[in-house]
Amino acid sequence: MSIGAANLLRGGDGPAEIEPTDAAEARIAARSPLELFLRRLRRDKVAMTALVFIVALVLVAILAPLIVKLVGAPGPQTRDPSTLDDFGIPVSGRGGGAFASGHPFGTDDIGRDVFSRTLYGARVSLEVAFIATTASVVVGVVLGMVAGYFRGWVDTLLSRIMDVQLAFPVLILAIGLGAACSLGNGCFGGLLKPGKAVVILVIALAQWPYMARIIRGQTLSLREKEFIEAARSIGASDRRIIFREILPNLIAPIIVYSTVLIPTNILFEAALSFLGVGVQEPTPSWGAMISEATDVFDVAWWFMLFPGLALLFTVLAFNLVGDGLQDALNPRGKK
Amino acid sequence: MRPIPLRRLLPALIASSALVAAGCGSGGGSSSGAGGSEAPGGAKAGQGRQGGELTDLWASDVDHLDPGQAYYQSSINIERAVNRALYSFSPKDGTNAIPDLADGQPEISQDSKTITVHLRKGVRYAPPVNREVKAQDVKYAIERSFTTNVTGPYAGVYFAEVEGAPAKPVAISALKPFSGLQTPDDYTLVIKLTKPVAQRVAAALVMPITVPVPEDYARKFDAKSPTDYDQYTAFSGPYMVVNDPKTGEVTGHQQQQKIELVRNPNWVKSTDYRPAFLDKIHIQEGNTDQVVAARRTLSGDGLICCDSGQPPTTILRQALTRNKNQLGQTPGGGTRWVAMNTKIKPFDNLNLRKAVIAGFNRNELRRTRGGKIVGPIAQGYIPPGLPGFDESGGLEGFTDLDWMQNPDGDPALAKKYFDAAGKDGVPVSNGRYAGSQKLLMITTNAQPGLKTAQVAASEFERLGFKLDVRKVPQDVLYTKFCGVPKAEVAICPNVGWQKDFYDAQAMLQPTFDGNAILPSNNSNWSQLDDKKINDGIAAATTLGGAERDKAFADINRQIVEQAPAIPFIWDDQFQLEASNVQAVTNPYDGIWDLAFTSLK
Repeated sequence: MSIGAANLLRGGDGPAEIEPTDAAEARIAARSPLELFLRRLRRDKVAMTALVFIVALVLVAILAPLIVKLVGAPGPQTRDPSTLDDFGIPVSGRGGGAFASGHPFGTDDIGRDVFSRTLYGARVSLEVAFIATTASVVVGVVLGMVAGYFRGWVDTLLSRIMDVQLAFPVLILAIGLGAACSLGNGCFGGLLKPGKAVVILVIALAQWPYMARIIRGQTLSLREKEFIEAARSIGASDRRIIFREILPNLIAPIIVYSTVLIPTNILFEAALSFLGVGVQEPTPSWGAMISEATDVFDVAWWFMLFPGLALLFTVLAFNLVGDGLQDALNPRGKK
Repeated sequence: MRPIPLRRLLPALIASSALVAAGCGSGGGSSSGAGGSEAPGGAKAGQGRQGGELTDLWASDVDHLDPGQAYYQSSINIERAVNRALYSFSPKDGTNAIPDLADGQPEISQDSKTITVHLRKGVRYAPPVNREVKAQDVKYAIERSFTTNVTGPYAGVYFAEVEGAPAKPVAISALKPFSGLQTPDDYTLVIKLTKPVAQRVAAALVMPITVPVPEDYARKFDAKSPTDYDQYTAFSGPYMVVNDPKTGEVTGHQQQQKIELVRNPNWVKSTDYRPAFLDKIHIQEGNTDQVVAARRTLSGDGLICCDSGQPPTTILRQALTRNKNQLGQTPGGGTRWVAMNTKIKPFDNLNLRKAVIAGFNRNELRRTRGGKIVGPIAQGYIPPGLPGFDESGGLEGFTDLDWMQNPDGDPALAKKYFDAAGKDGVPVSNGRYAGSQKLLMITTNAQPGLKTAQVAASEFERLGFKLDVRKVPQDVLYTKFCGVPKAEVAICPNVGWQKDFYDAQAMLQPTFDGNAILPSNNSNWSQLDDKKINDGIAAATTLGGAERDKAFADINRQIVEQAPAIPFIWDDQFQLEASNVQAVTNPYDGIWDLAFTSLK
């Protein structure tokens, strides 16, 4: 690892962590930056609880078919018309309400099991959130580093592109793109078909400038550091400096901002699906479920409650983990 | 007739029995139901308070204001308020058309090849035209519909037999006066036909193609292709869309936003049967969330709602139990179905189509629209109340066609037909379809159609089909996908057809006649092209009376035998009004009649 990387994982340019005794200092000196980071993270009970929740959620998403089978609930597409009344509305008296046997979370407005759809909905949320976040992080980091490192016209060009993109009302842009790509044959001449790919593209397009801005600022600062000067003086190429010297020093802000982006993107996906331009039928999505539930909320509250709670706790968990990571990576910034 | 879900009024038409001497056989008296001649509150149509403003909440927009192009159900709704066709339907009777611009019933010659219509005197256009309506205006209105500049949706289908009418639309510059449209004086129109189909053509005079268009004013707009007349429409009804009184430019219509109706200052009440109580009517569009629109209406003032769409089932349930006096219910006179494209594999196989229908739970499809209170399960394509319905077995349908007999689905019977399809080379396994290709299903993105589509998708998947489901707005569903054969949509679960008049031809010809398949605006969504059916329709067209009803019942049976679609409901239409509104439904199309609606 380069000097700069170790330096940053200690929490910037300053000393690693101030401990009260010499003995303690000696013990700390023996720990790697990663160990220090993990130690600080483990101390944060709230973040750890949230992390456990996220891990559990990922497992639930992966093992959704098995869990549904174990619980004895029907699959996400299986309809149970017997739970609906004559108007097609799920009712408690017919086993369509919450906590009914066979349908722990009740059924939706066409008799599908809300429990299994909520579980399968986690797959969509996490899949979209992780892939879209990765895409926006990759694009944002690369363009941010290039802009910050080269400065001059490259910086001006990329920064203006970011400015233009940031000036767009993001949700409206996303809805517009989502609508154009989600309806019918998709967009770009049918190259991009409706579905998750569209949602991921829309979110990545909307989010990369934020990451790029942060990375550009950090890069502008880093490129003036001595270790970069040193690398440059011994003839290191621009590419090596960017990817081998600067990038490792950006790990902390990338991790921290990524953890902020993930819950944002989960909400983004939910919002697009809620508005009908997200994930297509019949794939379960929390946003789409909440949207469909609005029609019957006053008579079938469970249809909205459970995907709503799943969305709430997932976003909350990612935010808490993000806070925890930030505190652990940058203890000086801790309040 | 119109595709139900989307308010597009289509070709259709045929005889209303009052218009034609022979009348039509069965099903008479389909006219008004709960909301027919009476407002939900019990007020008689024609009675109401003069003045006031009303807001009508719509989800979408009209397709055209130009009566020559108007096609959607909602467009026809507006046309009825701002324009006058030769004949129209009053809220008191959705079966028998009455003279509107005409001054009496049409006179039909003995050989059934000539129709004479006398026009009412004193009917005047709104500004900027201002002058009196003349028979030449109706003649021009029909002729222009045969041009590529206008491409009237009713021209070729119902007026093709007019002498001198081109077989295909021509440019307006090449349009020659039709020898079969004669105007011996300003108030007489004589229609001469090449075939003895005067009864049917006379019935079709209710369509907006007969709304007068003043050639001296409209010709310059029609010179463009497509015509600009849509933005410069001359109005002849009790209301008009707000326009520039000098240029005639329609300024009160902003697409997908609003339509502003005000009184036509040149309208003479004594020439019209419409009371036109209201001073202004605001059509507020974009209310795609019908739950919100319906709730606003039920709790608000001066509101009616839901254009031609049905309120969501939760609202319907609430309205039926708690707000019944704010609910208008009209016998629908239409059929809804899930269309399977017979030109696309595997639906090109008859046994497979029968297997799908046999296995489908049509009861669940119906429940997505409100269940049995909304209407019976459809067993064919001629709905209750139309001639040919009783001859088609009534509510029971064709009881010997086993795949139509169990609306809950019959897995054993489905397996039998799947196995038969398997012998034809279709991949099947264990009583299910086993093909691997994804079939394109285009669905509406609005309720309650979306729910219907969800259940339909679920049923197809249960039967082994793999789907590529895409949601689109309802108008896009028709204009870009289901109505465009090139789009190669395999399944259209949100289609249907509704009567505008009193004859089975208008139900069956546009929707299942192979000769009616069009490259766009196609309504034969299954693309069924069966020679026997096509020839049968052509032959039945010239018949009258009981013979005609029987002939179309036979065609109905042949269509059901071909299993091109899954018919699932003959539904009523429901509309909502605010408590201070005395709205009146018109059984002609099941929508509130703006020219009869008033405030309490």
